[in-house]
Amino acid sequence: MANSLRLYLTCIRNTLDAAMCLQNFPCQEVERHNKPEVELKTSPELLLNPVLICRNEAEKCLIETSINSLRISLKVKQSDELENILTKKFLRFLSMRAEAFEVLRRKPVQGYDISFLITNYHCEEMQKHKLIDFIVQFMEDIDKEITELKLSVNTRGRLVATEFLKQFI
Amino acid sequence: MACFERASPALRELFLRIHRAERPVEIDHHVHEFGSVHYHVQCSASDPLYTYLSISTPLLSRGIPLSSQLPQHTLEMVKGICPDVMEIIERPKEGYQLTLKLNFERIRHSKVSIKMITDISSVQSVILSSQLKEILRNIDSSQEMYKPIKLIYHPREPFFVIKQQTKITAVFPMSFKDNEDVIIATAFFQELMDVASSEACAKAPHCVWSPIPPPELRGEPIEDLSTNSGFVSFDITRRHVEGKKLDKTVWNLLNFYTFVKYHVKSTRSYIQRRMRMRLQRLVQPLRYVGIEEDQQIKKKAKGIRSIIATFRRSLQDKAVEQEIYCPNSSVSTVLAYTILADSSLFFPCLIYFFHTCSS
Repeated sequence: MANSLRLYLTCIRNTLDAAMCLQNFPCQEVERHNKPEVELKTSPELLLNPVLICRNEAEKCLIETSINSLRISLKVKQSDELENILTKKFLRFLSMRAEAFEVLRRKPVQGYDISFLITNYHCEEMQKHKLIDFIVQFMEDIDKEITELKLSVNTRGRLVATEFLKQFI
Repeated sequence: MACFERASPALRELFLRIHRAERPVEIDHHVHEFGSVHYHVQCSASDPLYTYLSISTPLLSRGIPLSSQLPQHTLEMVKGICPDVMEIIERPKEGYQLTLKLNFERIRHSKVSIKMITDISSVQSVILSSQLKEILRNIDSSQEMYKPIKLIYHPREPFFVIKQQTKITAVFPMSFKDNEDVIIATAFFQELMDVASSEACAKAPHCVWSPIPPPELRGEPIEDLSTNSGFVSFDITRRHVEGKKLDKTVWNLLNFYTFVKYHVKSTRSYIQRRMRMRLQRLVQPLRYVGIEEDQQIKKKAKGIRSIIATFRRSLQDKAVEQEIYCPNSSVSTVLAYTILADSSLFFPCLIYFFHTCSS
């Protein structure tokens, strides 16, 4: 793993560790409602300051915290057009299957490629450190997968091109 | 338009059925292929000797819409497929460009028969490639030098052939509907260009991809030059059209669009397949969290159960003891059995039990 990536992921891990102190908190405005405050933003006193961690202009992570929920939004690097479509395709594919992840948001926050929503219930059901591990692992895997996909698409293209040109010889 | 297999599989099947039939068969089939090729196969029991095949296909034309008549050299090439078996009818059926009279009785029932029928089924590919062959054959002739010849075998897929002194350049303006296709195809063209300039494919035609029209196409109408995936050019030299290579080169050029589209489609499906596989692996850590949680709960539950079991046993002993000492022995026995039968009543019963005992 590149040194800068390790630092970036460590920073995200530490921030998540600090931010993921969630507790059950019913809505203050509507009776018998218990919704993620980070989404509704009904009471400003229940929201913490959002933290933006940037590796570079193209790669960043926004962590928004509230009393009962946490929202993590990721922007994945896209250095060229092929990487751009592969990332979009892959993250859209994952978002469409959000129910498999439980913590994945169906629609990313504007300006980001993918978003997670973690509530206090998720923290109760799953272990906090496991959730953080999952997020960090997910980020690593996405990076790796996009690079591998790009490589394999190019390799495939090269093989097909060779086969096509061989027919002329 | 063109496909990788020269022979039409549907025609081949039909002809084999007619050829293998012991009794005369009645067939009147219309077969449509690739949206624009239309075959009509007719075989009647009253005239069992002959089968009629009519073909309507978009021709490789020089920018002119479909002509009703096939050129003479194309007809000559069609005649050459199986001269013993097929005969061209001078006036083709209405709506078709060519009608062939086939006599399958002349084909012997052997392994050769399958090859002959396959050749007859590939009549459309012969028609398609005849014109391009003619152009490539006259590679050194000075006619129409440097002037691009626009060839259309599909309205959306025209290409240009430019005769030069020692070579012929085939230029393919590439366009795709979907943006994803454009990017995958562009990546492929770059690879194609790299491979063509490598040593391994030194004998292959020189290939160039450029996002802007090549200078040879200067002066062509703007609608032909507006593409979203650029222009791919192949330089065909004499080496590539010698002997049997001519047929291959022509077929490869005719199939270039189909080839690229097929590659794009299969790459998309490959990406989809890979994403599906990856999804399983990405979800796994979360599932493990769930499983671990369950196991821990089970372990805890198991621990509590064992404690309860021990407690019950001791309680049973105690109940027996209490029965001796308790004044109301029947109540204590009932309570002990209730506790053993239903664990949910454990604590209320326990309280009640001790309460009764103490009282």
